[in-house]
Amino acid sequence: MESFRATPTFSFLLFLFLSPSTPFVSHSRPKGLYYSPSSTVTTFDDFVMPASMPSSPMAISPAMPTPSMFKKKKSTNAMSTAASYLSAVSEADARARVNKGSPGSTPALSLSSSVTTSSEDTVLEESDDNASGLYYPAVPPTSEQTFNTVHTEFGHCGNENYRYTSHHTPGEPIAGVREQDPPYYVLLTTYLSYILVICFGHIRDFFGKRFKPSAYRHLMVRNGYAALNSDFDSFYTRRLKTRLDDCFSLPVTGVPGRTIVLLDRYSSDCNVSFHPTGTKTRALNISSYNYLGFAQGNGACTDAVEEAVKRYGVCALGTRLEAGTLDLHQQAESLVARFMGMEDALIASMGFATNSTIIPALVGKGSLVISDEFNHASIRFGVRLSGANVRMFKHNNMESLEKLLREVISQGQPKTHRPWKKILVLVEGLYSMEGSLVNLPRILELKQKYKFYLWVDEAHSVGALGPHGRGVCDYYGINPRSVDILMGTFTKSFGAAGGYIAGNKNIIDRLRVSAHTGPYTEAMAPPVLTQVVASMASIMGVTMLPEKPASSSLSLLRSPDSTDNAITGLEATAYPGTAPSSALPPWMHLPQSLIDGSDGEMRLRRLAFNTRYLNRALRKLGFITYGNDDSPVVPLLLFHPGKMAVFSRMMRTRATPIVVVVVAYPATPLVTSRVRFCLSASHTKEDVDCVIKACDEIGDLLDLKHGDGERWPLEEIISRAVELVNMKHVP
Amino acid sequence: MSGSAATLEPLFTFLNYSYNTFETNFYKIPGSAVVARYVKSSHQNDPGRTLLEVILIIFAIRTLLQSRTRADHSGKHFIQFDEKEIDDLVDEWIPEPLVYPLDQKEQADLASVPVIVGPNGPKPKLASGKTVVNLASYNYTGLAGNEHIKERGIETLRKYGLGSCGPPGFYGYQDVHHQLEQDIADFLGTEAAIVYSQSFSTISSVIPAFCKRGDIIVADRGVNFAIQKGLQISRCTVRWYDHNDLKSLEQVLEMVERERRKKKSPLTRRFIVTEGIFDVDGAMSDLPKLVELKQKYKYRLILDESVSFGSVGRTGRGLTELYNVPATQIDMLVGSVANGLTSGGGFCAGSEIVVKHQRINGTSFVFSASMPALLAVAASEGINILRNSPSILSTLQENVRAVRSILDRADYIAIPSHPASPMIHLYVRLPSATFLMPQTPATPFTPSLPSLAHSPTSPSFKLSNPLSVAPRDPPVFDAELEERLLQDVVEECLAQGVLVTRAKRLNQELNPVRPSIRLALSAALTKKESEKAANVVKAAFTKIVGKRR
Ligand SMILES: Cc1ncc(COP(=O)(O)O)c(C=O)c1O
Repeated sequence: MESFRATPTFSFLLFLFLSPSTPFVSHSRPKGLYYSPSSTVTTFDDFVMPASMPSSPMAISPAMPTPSMFKKKKSTNAMSTAASYLSAVSEADARARVNKGSPGSTPALSLSSSVTTSSEDTVLEESDDNASGLYYPAVPPTSEQTFNTVHTEFGHCGNENYRYTSHHTPGEPIAGVREQDPPYYVLLTTYLSYILVICFGHIRDFFGKRFKPSAYRHLMVRNGYAALNSDFDSFYTRRLKTRLDDCFSLPVTGVPGRTIVLLDRYSSDCNVSFHPTGTKTRALNISSYNYLGFAQGNGACTDAVEEAVKRYGVCALGTRLEAGTLDLHQQAESLVARFMGMEDALIASMGFATNSTIIPALVGKGSLVISDEFNHASIRFGVRLSGANVRMFKHNNMESLEKLLREVISQGQPKTHRPWKKILVLVEGLYSMEGSLVNLPRILELKQKYKFYLWVDEAHSVGALGPHGRGVCDYYGINPRSVDILMGTFTKSFGAAGGYIAGNKNIIDRLRVSAHTGPYTEAMAPPVLTQVVASMASIMGVTMLPEKPASSSLSLLRSPDSTDNAITGLEATAYPGTAPSSALPPWMHLPQSLIDGSDGEMRLRRLAFNTRYLNRALRKLGFITYGNDDSPVVPLLLFHPGKMAVFSRMMRTRATPIVVVVVAYPATPLVTSRVRFCLSASHTKEDVDCVIKACDEIGDLLDLKHGDGERWPLEEIISRAVELVNMKHVP
Repeated sequence: MSGSAATLEPLFTFLNYSYNTFETNFYKIPGSAVVARYVKSSHQNDPGRTLLEVILIIFAIRTLLQSRTRADHSGKHFIQFDEKEIDDLVDEWIPEPLVYPLDQKEQADLASVPVIVGPNGPKPKLASGKTVVNLASYNYTGLAGNEHIKERGIETLRKYGLGSCGPPGFYGYQDVHHQLEQDIADFLGTEAAIVYSQSFSTISSVIPAFCKRGDIIVADRGVNFAIQKGLQISRCTVRWYDHNDLKSLEQVLEMVERERRKKKSPLTRRFIVTEGIFDVDGAMSDLPKLVELKQKYKYRLILDESVSFGSVGRTGRGLTELYNVPATQIDMLVGSVANGLTSGGGFCAGSEIVVKHQRINGTSFVFSASMPALLAVAASEGINILRNSPSILSTLQENVRAVRSILDRADYIAIPSHPASPMIHLYVRLPSATFLMPQTPATPFTPSLPSLAHSPTSPSFKLSNPLSVAPRDPPVFDAELEERLLQDVVEECLAQGVLVTRAKRLNQELNPVRPSIRLALSAALTKKESEKAANVVKAAFTKIVGKRR
């Protein structure tokens, strides 16, 4: 392998000639790494009992004795838990029996379902074979430690040193690390490799059309129909992207938590089509948007969701304005408002649609939208629907923004020079391809001066940033109410789906009535709402109200004033505040660790540690990364499109397989193809070590270490991780 | 003389030096020797050409730079200001408020939105504590609250967690999504299908995925809001035909073809966009005729079955099943999983090529997280149930017939919906002359017979302008009055224990939509219950609208 060091001339050849069939990128993997759902070594222990039990009338009970409460031990010291292991097994058997019996009760409906049924608990799915090192924690738990998560979903990490608090130190520059350019030969060969691939593609098309016309038929005019997608339009897809297609859209199964199970596939026609091999591979997941690790099939939030499915079913049956509004929607909305520190909030059933259907309700003809050049597709979609004029400013560049503001305000509308009705500036809190944080303090200064309205899309930052997980405002210590509209999604940090808009009551009520979401889109499903409520409440912590009216949730629904009163009782406007217990559905039983917020805090702090550690470690290894040290999205620059594929394949075929996301043009500028890591609270330090080691090896092979700045050897980085994370500044 | 030469000496050395460095550096660039040789030889052959080429290059660079600056300074309309003036202008500028507060009517509207406590279903409990019969929520097949689906949902939850935590391209495409896509394709009989995570965002992504600038879409004047948004995004050329009038469609197709021949423009993609059962009024398309026209004129058909999927046909497969038209005849068949299967999301079914294209070009598919696994499984399970229990749809149709037989005869109600549609729109019928709205009597239900709501029968029929979305003679109605009356009806029904809702619209629709009450019948109610509820609605109309006179 060492001889495989990529020379500049070699690197773009990689792109051309490494098809998935070369051994190097093969999908056949050494035996023993397969994920085999066989026996178990995971053990139940006594149920974890919280130290104190709340005595509130609210039915918030201690940890429920659910089977998900178990801890895992190395099989070597499983002696003491042999009894509990047996009881776990018998319990699981009992569950399986119950499950098998029940569908029979609905004969008409019990026809074999299309999806593979499996009612075993995760416990019984664990594999004996820990060759990939993903199943058991590297560090066995001490006698005081109990972990009530499944290690493959949410890693066990008891070391309190591996924690950090995400915050902004006033005075520190916001721009993040300086964006570095690679050496010229890298840029040159990158361009060359694109040119080569394009030429090659055209040659193939030229001959293909002559010798294999059947393969091109769907791209040509055919019996009076124009091609759905002409050969010209699809050139990029067919001739460039197809080469990398084995790195995209990999089918997966199971919980997208700390690890993820890939459904292996192969292609016998150079990535045109894929076929499942029937095998599965469990891989370390550093790609899913699972910042706080709420993607779990076990745990208190999931228990709450299960209860919601039992009570509410899976659907709200309608649009919000047409008989699809549930009590849960209102509870969730008031909780979101409180979480964000805003007066009111609105929930939509899809994050994309939150942008694309609500922006048009705020701006229209005669208004101007100023948008960051790297804004997400959903924002652009919404802006285009709104009919407002659009101008872009350079990514996160405040001078560019100010210059533009001065120009547009002084010039007014095009041609007529009438003043703009209003100007809306659209930015993201954390840019998911760049890892950069918005310069919110500066934007707010500009807002004062130029009187525009501000919309911050916190899809990636909410939950992931700030000492209390409330997003960029929390991170910078800024009053959220100085922003007009905080938008975000539940897909990322909360392990749910959908999005929200938070703002003052005026705005939100207007949007309820005038945005497309109200009358036309389906309302969010009850299980999703429950996940939102449970995960958010656990981040906030829950405050018991001194005396709880029996139907508090009902009164909360009908009159918004009484809600305010109920909350005013205790620090109404305190931000970042806790969730009043009246804001939760009365049937939702959360265990103590979620009520006191300790679970949420652990998640926030673990994420912050992992984030800072990986960002800094990669730079210390000599890689070029973009973005802020506190950004859980870490883009590592690869430049060459060919290296993208190789990087992704090499990561996936390691002894400990790692799945990564690689992105290239058109999602990024042409030359800056990159791999993007998304950290999670569910990762342990050892997992991050594993990623760093992999990057180090592959980085050497692919000639990726072009960063300047001081470098540390790998061992030093791993051993001095805590120090590295806590350093004020790492160049 | 020599003095000036001496002073110029350093300049010459510098020039000489920089020329040398330039030359050596230039030759270091790979391929530069070729360029140099080319320039030299061409200069030798024809010095004039060198000059011309240099001018050309300068010109090209200038235009390039100019086009960039033009974007900044909007060309000749740009006014030069100095900094002080700009500051003053900035100080002077007073923006409009971001939103205007709700007026009284809007506030009342918002306050009147029913809130359901606990599960929604055929008989939900409202926040007022009252249990009502639900004729408002979409639960055509009564799958809501199905115990088996719940059970499967919980199993899935334990195996997959809730969210998918990523877009389909980046590890968000789970086997359950694949399974659902296959189930839908199998169910409808198409090659493939693709699932989006919200039904509204499905068609507004599907249309722009295929239709680009220069392509032609011929669309119905009454298409729903999501389609309107899709058309807006796609930026293609849209031609309109009269609502659910296939004669008008044929005329427009004819006209487009003539235009193309006249202009000799190249063949572009052409689409007909319409709905199965129209969301605005419940009218139904005559699918066989539509398919015939599409094939005759070589258009592709984008059919939105958001209302008809899961609500008509023997087992709920929608219009294709009702009319016995193979779904493969429809190029892009879009439907709602949320409404049709009481789960979440939407789908587009079609050929492999159509689906594959969307996996890269469907904006809201590519850039949004895939739907929660639990909802995907619930939908798969829903299909399974529909497939195996045709009794569900026959119960639903029975309810539809029962309700229609009551409401069709009501004095103050006009119904534009197709007799088989379980989504029924109720207009106010005011017997006074001012509100003359031609109501075709509801045609008896025969699938082969098209129900043309505004079918022009007179020979003097003239085409509306296909370039404009507005019809030639738009229906006349007093929206404000009707809305008020309908809201009173809604409240009256609620007082009598029946939940109905006005069809809520934004007034951003391309054509004004006549206010209506939208009923959504359900197989989960018995015929008796449906009849009883329909009688309540009828009585409420009589009480509110009748009293008005
Ligand atoms: C900035 C931004 N906004 C909105 C979205 C869409 O969210 P969802 O995936 O929930 O539809 C995303 C998702 O990638 C995003 O990055």
